[in-house]
Amino acid sequence: MLLAVAMATAVDPSHDLASERSSIESTYELTKYLEYQLKEIKDVYLTYLGPPFNEKDFSPPRPNSTALTLPSAATRLELWHGLENQARLAQNQKAYSVLLAAVRELASSTLCPSLKTSLLHFCTGLDGLLGSISALMTTLGYTLPPQSANMRTNAGELKVEGFWILRELQSWLWRSAKDFNRLKRRLRG
Amino acid sequence: GLVKTLQPGAQSGKLSISINCLPLISVSSRPLPDVAIIYPQDPVLRMGSNLTASCWVHPDLGVHASSLFWTLNGQQLPSSFYRVLSPTNLSVTLAGLNASRQTSGDNLVCHNHKGHILAGSCLYVGMPPQKPVNLTCWSRNTKDLTCSWAPGGKGETNISTQYRLKYKLRWYGTEKQCEDYTHTQPYSCSITQDLHLFTPYEIWVEASNQLGRATSDVITLDILDVVTTDPPSGVTVSRVGQLEDQLSVRWEAPPALKDFLFQAKYQIRYRLEDSQDWKVMDDVGNQTSCRLAGLRPGTVYFVQVRCNPVGIYGSRKAGIWSEWSHPTAASTPHSERLMSCDSKSSGDSNSTLRRELKQFFGWVRKHAYGCSSMSMKLYDQWRVLMQKSHKARNQVGKHR
Repeated sequence: MLLAVAMATAVDPSHDLASERSSIESTYELTKYLEYQLKEIKDVYLTYLGPPFNEKDFSPPRPNSTALTLPSAATRLELWHGLENQARLAQNQKAYSVLLAAVRELASSTLCPSLKTSLLHFCTGLDGLLGSISALMTTLGYTLPPQSANMRTNAGELKVEGFWILRELQSWLWRSAKDFNRLKRRLRG
Repeated sequence: GLVKTLQPGAQSGKLSISINCLPLISVSSRPLPDVAIIYPQDPVLRMGSNLTASCWVHPDLGVHASSLFWTLNGQQLPSSFYRVLSPTNLSVTLAGLNASRQTSGDNLVCHNHKGHILAGSCLYVGMPPQKPVNLTCWSRNTKDLTCSWAPGGKGETNISTQYRLKYKLRWYGTEKQCEDYTHTQPYSCSITQDLHLFTPYEIWVEASNQLGRATSDVITLDILDVVTTDPPSGVTVSRVGQLEDQLSVRWEAPPALKDFLFQAKYQIRYRLEDSQDWKVMDDVGNQTSCRLAGLRPGTVYFVQVRCNPVGIYGSRKAGIWSEWSHPTAASTPHSERLMSCDSKSSGDSNSTLRRELKQFFGWVRKHAYGCSSMSMKLYDQWRVLMQKSHKARNQVGKHR
């Protein structure tokens, strides 16, 4: 029985991978698009926060709550290179699931209605990205990591968190494009 | 990355501070006591009031209050505003606060001597709302009721202020709230469900923020008294044969009219292409065509039409004028007569004629022999002569 199953999966691996590769390609396109969208929203959001948040080279300390739950995109080159497909996807999945919840909270606490609408619209794109990644993981037979919740704080810390969430999101979108590129190449071989 | 450890003498654990130039450093993974706190946190204040805020730093930080400084919206506050309350507590006093620069709050931040952020607090400075004003409502084709208003005072818009449009049927009690606030037009809301005709509505706006609340005057209206419609469609402007001073305008009544109207009245306005002054034709009545006369030849005109639903269900009252239709343009035919290259500088046609006559009389005095030789033929000959010499003059001008 097991042998039959093994034979069945071994019969047409190239076909499955082709559809996987095309799904990775469209996920890659989505990250590029979101990266572009984020640039515009980030400028508007930082202006909404007011100075010094919208000043060049401004960088507040990374808040504890975000540091606890959000994995940083920054990683050493050899570690990133050597990531197995499952781990690579799992890191992306974890990051975007935390980021999506964080941006949603950001949107709900935004007092400017048009900015709130823009952020919520951006969230639908982010949700799509997360869905693509999760679907890819399921198709490749990987298990999805569990969710975790974020804590809320006062207005001043909220601003710093917002600043960092968008900064990390920018780093992740930039990194994910390279992750998906790498995945595509690894699945070809 | 760097994690600074504390001065000798620190007891419980390490307090880490990340450094501005290396943002992606991980902070200690254990939950930490607050490094510093500003009091008050996120206060809501009236414009012009004073505020004394204090920055308390954790004693384990080993930092003296006198080495700290404050910034407000990125600008450093003068040290003359500071007071050292204790070795771990520095206060700042701000007098006569201006309204908040952004609705997310003014950023009041406490820094250490190197400029690193220790703590922050958002100041929300504004005014309690005043009675909202200019409340006007209109109904589009009796299918909805849209109202708009304006904030009653200054300063209420600097902090987050909610406006709620409320209404009730005067004779049937229950107060309701408008839900559909359009973000494209601020201070506007549409009621789209459950509209009753033939009965008066009472409508008002309630404004509230953290400093107070205010209610506008109540307006009473019957939906049928404030009906407007879409602008006329299919507006076309065309020449009237060869007539050089006329244009014919045609349009179609907006489709909704047949649902509830007996009549509509229209208004046309037109202007020269490069002018901002509109000329309005008021007495168009209920026809769907009109002729514009007294226009300048060889000129482009922009034309718009709008509609007013009159006599809704037999009432004598007029409704509310629709928006103007999209501008349509057309040009009058060129004049057969002398075409001056200086057409822009020739002002009103009357003065051109006078000038021409003056020139003609001058020429006649010189060249004609008595009034008996005066005739239209002479006038026409003179015109031809003028055209020839004018052309010659302009040719010269071109080759200069």
